Amino acid sequence: MGMGVAIECDGVSLTYSAKSGAPVEALQRVSFRIHPRRVTAVIGPSGCGKSTLLQIVRGLLAPSAGRIRFIDAQSGGAAATKPRMATVWQNFNLFPWRTVVENVGFGLEVGGTQRSERVERSRRSLMQVDLAGFENKYPRQLSGGMRQRVGLARALVMEPEVLLLDEPFGALDAQTRLILQEQLARLVEKSGTTAVLVTHSIEEAILLADTILVMTARPGRIAAEIRVELPRPRSMTTTRLSGYSSLFDQIYGLLRDEVVKAMTIETESA
Amino acid sequence: MLDERPSMPVTVGPSTSGPLHNFVQKLGEPRVLGWIAVASVLIVWEVIVVAAHLNPIYLPSPSHILVALVTMFKTGGLLSDLLATLGRIFGGFAIALVVGTLLGIWMATSQRVSAIADNFIAALYPLPKVTLIPLLIIWLGTGGPFMLTISALGAIFPIVINTVLGIRQCDPGLVLAARDLEASNRQVIRMVLLPSAIPSIFAGVRLGIGVSIILVVAAEMVVGKVGLGARLYLAGQILETEQVFAVLIVLAILGVAVTKAQDLIDDWLSQWRLS
Repeated sequence: MGMGVAIECDGVSLTYSAKSGAPVEALQRVSFRIHPRRVTAVIGPSGCGKSTLLQIVRGLLAPSAGRIRFIDAQSGGAAATKPRMATVWQNFNLFPWRTVVENVGFGLEVGGTQRSERVERSRRSLMQVDLAGFENKYPRQLSGGMRQRVGLARALVMEPEVLLLDEPFGALDAQTRLILQEQLARLVEKSGTTAVLVTHSIEEAILLADTILVMTARPGRIAAEIRVELPRPRSMTTTRLSGYSSLFDQIYGLLRDEVVKAMTIETESA
Repeated sequence: MLDERPSMPVTVGPSTSGPLHNFVQKLGEPRVLGWIAVASVLIVWEVIVVAAHLNPIYLPSPSHILVALVTMFKTGGLLSDLLATLGRIFGGFAIALVVGTLLGIWMATSQRVSAIADNFIAALYPLPKVTLIPLLIIWLGTGGPFMLTISALGAIFPIVINTVLGIRQCDPGLVLAARDLEASNRQVIRMVLLPSAIPSIFAGVRLGIGVSIILVVAAEMVVGKVGLGARLYLAGQILETEQVFAVLIVLAILGVAVTKAQDLIDDWLSQWRLS
């Protein structure tokens, strides 16, 4: 995989028309750099456009202004081709009519991989997330945590150079979330992909990320970029370190005013 | 459902566990009860016809109807009538399924196509399709093309409308997930929109095939030389009431068979639904 892919977000803005026809500014001149083979968390109040930003990075949504550039970390120049990317979604977005192994193999099937190789690679990917033996179940037969592990396997089987995580544990209960966070941290570290994690949990951001981007309320801008220097591997014991609490307080301080602002916006538009 | 629970005996004693008791209890089961009701009506019917010496032109007895039915199948060519009708219904229906699903996909994925087709559908859908029979006869004559067209016309509207609904109701998150995995527009339609719309399309199929049956039989009554509708009309004209009833029985059984087949497909389709 070489030295990985960096992402440069350069003055990205997004304005869309609300149902009333009035323009809504979701993102305002957002600029940042995502470091190669590192985990970057984007945290902000709800409605600040952080999931939208992720879709713009993925190329599923075109910005009104600005651009996304992918940098080959080895040459330092623009990447010759778009890097392989895959997303893990908050509501899993599994195809309910496909079995687990067929869900994981979806991207390979789209790319024209032969059935036998598809199944083989999907099985290996499922083993990585401890779901061996569930290949022929349907998503509805699985718990939320298992469904999201299928979502993770479906992304990892594509061997992404950039892994995008859109509040991946937002729909899960607190215990499941803890276990999956640790599992994800290990997998990302091992695969050496560049990862972008959108979350509203400060704890999740600190436990998983090397860099945390704090966003403002709508229109979303980058309020601060914070480095996380805590030792790895991190787990629940990390939360008892003094470095953890000072980071937490710092981010909470930045977020608190923005969350209040976001609530005001919601009340006004309601 | 509550009333489908087998009723529990209220008293407990030696008499409640004998074979007679079991038999009586079985009689109370809803399925068995349904068949007992049918049998009772037939017996009462037979007795009344025989006892009151009713003229068979008005009301033949069930036993005579059964004899007529068997005779018609054995020597009267009723089987070829049945096959002709089935061919028209399912031939037209197959055309409607293919054309209707494709048109529905096209409408659901293109606002322009939808805008063009919407008005035509709004005008044609509520129109009773039997009223199109004279016009179609002028254009197509009374042969196979006419029968297939009238059958397809019956089924196509519910199929188009339900395909459009099904695709529009598809979770946009699934489309995003597919595009994230590099699916082309064509692959999104084939691998996401179409499968997610299948329960809805099938609901349209259910409605459509019912209309096809009605229209084909009606068209056969008006212009057919073969087919169950033609047979029914002819038998009525010459006051062969036993044969009229016999054809009605065949049509009723056809209806039941189609419904049962749809139930089986519905069970199979349940894998499409999220818990």
